[in-house]
Amino acid sequence: MTPICKNLRKDILNFSHISGHGHIPSSFSVVEIIYAVYESIQHRPKEPKWDKRDIFILSKGHAALTHYCVLAEAGYFDASCISSFGAFLSNFGCHACRCKVPGVEVSTGSLGHGIGISVGIALAAKIQKSDRRVFVLIGDGEANEGVVWESIMVAINIKLDNLVVIYDNNTSQLRGLQILNPEEKFMSFGCSVANVNGHDVDALKSELAKKSDKLKVIIANTKKGYGCKTFVENHHEWHRRSPNKAELAHLLGELDAEAI
Amino acid sequence: MRKQFRDTVMDLAERDNKIIMVLGDISVYFFNEFKKKYPDRFYNMGICENTLVSVAAGLSSQGLYPFVHTIAPFVTERSLEQIKLDMCYNNFGGNIVTCGASFDYAWDGATHHCYTDLAILRLLPGMEVIQPGSRKEMDILMRSCYNNGKTTYFRLSDYPHDIDMPVEFGKGVVFKDCGASVTVMTAGPIFGNVLAACKDLNVNLAYFHTIKPIDKELISKFRETRILVVHDAFGLYEAICEIPNLSVSYHGMPDEFCDFYGTVHDIRRKLGLDEVSIRDVVKKLI
Repeated sequence: MTPICKNLRKDILNFSHISGHGHIPSSFSVVEIIYAVYESIQHRPKEPKWDKRDIFILSKGHAALTHYCVLAEAGYFDASCISSFGAFLSNFGCHACRCKVPGVEVSTGSLGHGIGISVGIALAAKIQKSDRRVFVLIGDGEANEGVVWESIMVAINIKLDNLVVIYDNNTSQLRGLQILNPEEKFMSFGCSVANVNGHDVDALKSELAKKSDKLKVIIANTKKGYGCKTFVENHHEWHRRSPNKAELAHLLGELDAEAI
Repeated sequence: MRKQFRDTVMDLAERDNKIIMVLGDISVYFFNEFKKKYPDRFYNMGICENTLVSVAAGLSSQGLYPFVHTIAPFVTERSLEQIKLDMCYNNFGGNIVTCGASFDYAWDGATHHCYTDLAILRLLPGMEVIQPGSRKEMDILMRSCYNNGKTTYFRLSDYPHDIDMPVEFGKGVVFKDCGASVTVMTAGPIFGNVLAACKDLNVNLAYFHTIKPIDKELISKFRETRILVVHDAFGLYEAICEIPNLSVSYHGMPDEFCDFYGTVHDIRRKLGLDEVSIRDVVKKLI
């Protein structure tokens, strides 16, 4: 784990503890992914509406806390803003609102929506003859929603080579509707598919930099709760919990030990 | 009215290169000329209403003016959450233009009937809901709203009336004010039947093409009268009822599926929305 990604996880734990909110295991599985995206895309933290920026959409909106922490790390706003996470009148809700947080392009929360909007944004870039690229992060649980596959079909049909779908394959749906062989499924829809370790920032950055002549899907193989043994082994119990003071100390210790 | 939609959009698109057509595999033949003239602004995306709406939101987010066009029940009822979140909540405005209003597809049965669209869409914050009754109304209202940043629903019908009147977005029309104690209020194509039924009766008559925002000022003028809403859909009655302390009743849709076929006129007759039946209902109130 890189020091930056370890610190991002510490921020997530601390903000979750302060606020009493958080989807921590889901947030932990995407730390390296979102960090790698902002390291790779064209963007200006001090000019969030820069008209040549690439676009990132967090379609699995319940990982908003990670998104906020990465945006703060990139310089969009001061990290102290996030301490109001989920509070009345806070700009930083448990699912992000694009009108309230600089750098958030689309308000998401209900699963299966961000990917369709990303298809529209990528199409707009084509119509406007722009080189801008669009990146959308979806979850494997989110892929239970039929509209995800509808969007993929449309994106393939209208030849959106400027759209990259990152699939957080944290196998969270083992107890429900697990998507088996996602690589095979995306390939059968006509996508260009790459498999990477979703906790390897360099591998992610290398894959994100590669252009494709058709819709690209990066299957990021992750562990839900990666970084803390407690989360990885009990992610259902911790899905919406936030740590108390004693638990926070224990979890920070687990992070430092890098036992998982 | 669909031909008018095509003609209006063709005319607008000539001057506005931000107009993008997003079709759900319907009316494709109608838009052949558009497709030929503006191939990079025409997309028949297929039968996937949810994605049509999400794509429109994405296009809108980049400053374009999408027109999603497909059959009314499928995009308004199936894709309500996409309209609510992707367009309205995100403030990614655009146009949703449907065909198959109420019982336009009577012969296809209950799966193709659409009478809830106006009522459910008017509940969404920021949404504009328009039911043009004539070609002229469609043309004027589309020109005035298509690029205003809002999400606007245009409910087109293949059975328009051809009654001429002044048209302004958000403004109802007082067709007859004879100081009567009863006021009949209606909207959309059914106005043809309502006018024929009421023309020689001692009732006031008001008409709406804009369901949201509803013209509260006009309705308030008749607050001392008994108001009868005659409509072949839900939505207008509920909008009128938002004005407090009115005496309002409704004649139109029953609380049951219309599980029979035929023509739009057959179903209107069955529901008591033909000229003779409407006249009987109004006369009982006078």
